[in-house]
Amino acid sequence: MTSPSAPVATTGYPWPIETTRLANGLRVVVSEDRTAPVVCVNLWYDVGSRHEPPGQTGFAHLFEHLMFEGSQHVKKTEHMKLVQGNGGSLNATTNPDRTNYFETMPSEHLELALWLEADRMGGLVPALTQETLDNQREVVKNERRQRYENVPYGDAWLRLLPLLYPEGHPYHHSTIGSMEDLNGAALDTFKAFHQQYYAPNNAVLTVVGDTSAAEVFALAEKYFGAIATVPDIPAAPDGSLPGPATEAVRESVTAKVPAARIYLSHRTFPFGTAGYDAVTVLSMVLGSGRGSRLYQRLADGARIAQPDYIGAYGVDLAHAPAPLIITATAKDGVSLETLEAGLAEVVQSLIDEPVTDDELNRAKALLTTAWWRGVSTVGGRADLLGRYATQFGDPATAADRLPKWLAVTSDDVTEAARQVLRPESRVTLTYVPGEPS
Amino acid sequence: MSLVTTRPGTGAARPYAFPVIRRVTAHGGTIIAAHLPGQILASALLLLDAGAARESDGREGTATVLAKSLEEGTRKRDSAAYALALESLGAELSPAVDWDTFRVGVSAPGPLLADAVRLAAEAARTPKLDPADVARVRDDEVTALRMDWAQPGPRADAALRADLFGAEGRYSRPLHGDPTSVAAVTVDDVLAFHEAWLRRPGVLVVAGDLDALDLAALAEAAFEGTSGELLEQSGPLPVLLPPRRRTILVDRPDSVQSTLRFGHRAPERATPDYVPMTLAATVLGGAFTSRLNHLIREVKGYTYGIRGSYAMSRRWGRFEVAAGVQTAVTAPAIRDTLGEIARTQAEGVTEAELEVARSWRAGQLSVEMQTPGAIAGALSTLVVHGLPDDYYETLRTEYLEASVEQVSKAAAEHLAVDSLTLVVEGDGAVIRDELGEFGELVDSDI
Repeated sequence: MTSPSAPVATTGYPWPIETTRLANGLRVVVSEDRTAPVVCVNLWYDVGSRHEPPGQTGFAHLFEHLMFEGSQHVKKTEHMKLVQGNGGSLNATTNPDRTNYFETMPSEHLELALWLEADRMGGLVPALTQETLDNQREVVKNERRQRYENVPYGDAWLRLLPLLYPEGHPYHHSTIGSMEDLNGAALDTFKAFHQQYYAPNNAVLTVVGDTSAAEVFALAEKYFGAIATVPDIPAAPDGSLPGPATEAVRESVTAKVPAARIYLSHRTFPFGTAGYDAVTVLSMVLGSGRGSRLYQRLADGARIAQPDYIGAYGVDLAHAPAPLIITATAKDGVSLETLEAGLAEVVQSLIDEPVTDDELNRAKALLTTAWWRGVSTVGGRADLLGRYATQFGDPATAADRLPKWLAVTSDDVTEAARQVLRPESRVTLTYVPGEPS
Repeated sequence: MSLVTTRPGTGAARPYAFPVIRRVTAHGGTIIAAHLPGQILASALLLLDAGAARESDGREGTATVLAKSLEEGTRKRDSAAYALALESLGAELSPAVDWDTFRVGVSAPGPLLADAVRLAAEAARTPKLDPADVARVRDDEVTALRMDWAQPGPRADAALRADLFGAEGRYSRPLHGDPTSVAAVTVDDVLAFHEAWLRRPGVLVVAGDLDALDLAALAEAAFEGTSGELLEQSGPLPVLLPPRRRTILVDRPDSVQSTLRFGHRAPERATPDYVPMTLAATVLGGAFTSRLNHLIREVKGYTYGIRGSYAMSRRWGRFEVAAGVQTAVTAPAIRDTLGEIARTQAEGVTEAELEVARSWRAGQLSVEMQTPGAIAGALSTLVVHGLPDDYYETLRTEYLEASVEQVSKAAAEHLAVDSLTLVVEGDGAVIRDELGEFGELVDSDI
């Protein structure tokens, strides 16, 4: 059996897409697919931790919690009860760029989902009480303990961000934010934050699945049409940077961890650019799968890294050069220095050794499967279209991403590596086992 | 201009149907395939009757070491060539071990699935298993387990399992073994496990657009060259409950949270009470608005999340509650949790709560079964537990028709708050004294 080259894809989105915009500025995206009796309703709000001014870090994420606690016509706890009690799955996430909310429902409950989303877009503030705020602040503190503080290496991302982005940059602080900021703010400050950013003209509503564009457009008008436009929403601070960092930065942590671990990180290009497409392919060649250079050379070859804990991945942020993160964990008896030298050598190989046809085909085949897996659910598709509508102004451009990945050449990867992976632009974060100092 | 004040009604529901199932028997094995028209990706999962239950005493983790050794090269190609061949199809191998089966899964674009299954079978049936490679994989697995056991949770899970299944041999030890048992696994153990169990045909479940898949070719790829009869199955274990509650402390100095794992034994997956038990657990701790999550997270703010559920395999089941709570509120969180379990056991569920649970569980059969991977998983449940092809349609109907009386009866019969083992993994120096109120307290030796 020969290994075939990656399958050709001329589009990454072979489903229909229809769009409209309500008079209040809400953009509506619909993609009909009658295969299964399910429908996903997804809202992207263009507000993330990058919008938070000093003293208000963690606000965007706290809102992700408050949005489930009731609104003008939806009682506290009713939101979850109505979605799950009608067969649906729901969640929400916050990152530096934006906040998204989504529920996949049996399609006969489409109208319910739209009503719930409209009520918390236009009617959250009257229902927001001090008791709810206090309770959800406690839940967020528990989230911080569970996800960042009580697990070995759990704070790596919190440490990497300020090393990657300078003071004052919109990506400098983490999404979970500062507990002092959350504690210090009054109820009215939170209400003002919602009134500022949770506006129809700052959101994209995407509906994918067992429905039609005509039905969704009419329902969007019915439920969201009355919500007022918010004028002059302030833009996030400018995230542009003059180029890669010019001085290497290092932080060494001694902590209760089971083995020495290294994170190398570089700022690359914003998600959505040709440069970031090359970095996406590069990260697969470098660190995804057993055929990657990191696995082949450090886990399988030199055997200095633990095979289960080695890899590289980009964090798909669109409003400033996005980070590439490379990580490896030392095997027993291997020193941090040995591991770091090995990692540096493999990273340097992307500049010095051209990517072979086999490596490139492997990377593209894995990206192809990952792409189709991502769009195999109505929820995956809705989030994708919401992203491209919010960040690039046109959901239909989502179809171009896979063909653009497949068009990346070996030279493109080398050129990207040459630009962004130089040692002098590197952030190095190391953990060694021991009592925290 | 204002928001619409009244909640909209429900539209017309489309009838529920699980994908059409086709079967092919060839080369000694069986393919069970679900048709998903228009899907670009396809998934295949080889199910072998070689779960962790077949491991020897003191060598728990043998099957996991074997699973991780399969990609260290085959009789045809070395590990680097194997990785390149498989990953160039866009596929990655996911060998996994559970209590009942050894599973080797692959997903790929439909036209490439047969090649991916051929490679998966090559690794499963004819791995090289060079002794030096197996020994290295074993050592790496010991290290990986130590990494995992440094997280909160695995030690508490092991302590609970040891207490609930202390008399049941293999079931008293962790699914993937522990650092000590894996370190004791020999190369011969791994070779013998492969020889005994992985050369049998087994079952291949497939999910994808069957119009574009050649099931005969898949059967040949999965089963050619295999031999062996179906293995005899052992019956379910009795549900033994201790006469009183006990608390086990797993010390984790300086921990900012206490990890709670409460449990007792319950019937196996094929129990006729499966539907009412599942609905009772959904009301107690399954849905976001469940009694436990509502009280402990939403009202008290003690946790980021708490869940209660039944976990079930072919021969046994157990009820379990899992949560991480802030260290300072460990005792109040335990008290409230026990209170909700006791209330559910004694008083059952209400119609309002059950209505949420019914509709959620029924709706999830559509909402959470959209992908080839999810459908392949659903098919594997049919295979492992001997359920009929129309099982999911029946299950949906049973969920929707379950009454308050049936579910309350299941709660009364299958919850036992006074027989719970309470495992608490946290900062012993801070929490030990307050754990005394919950019954006999012992220190875990794990």
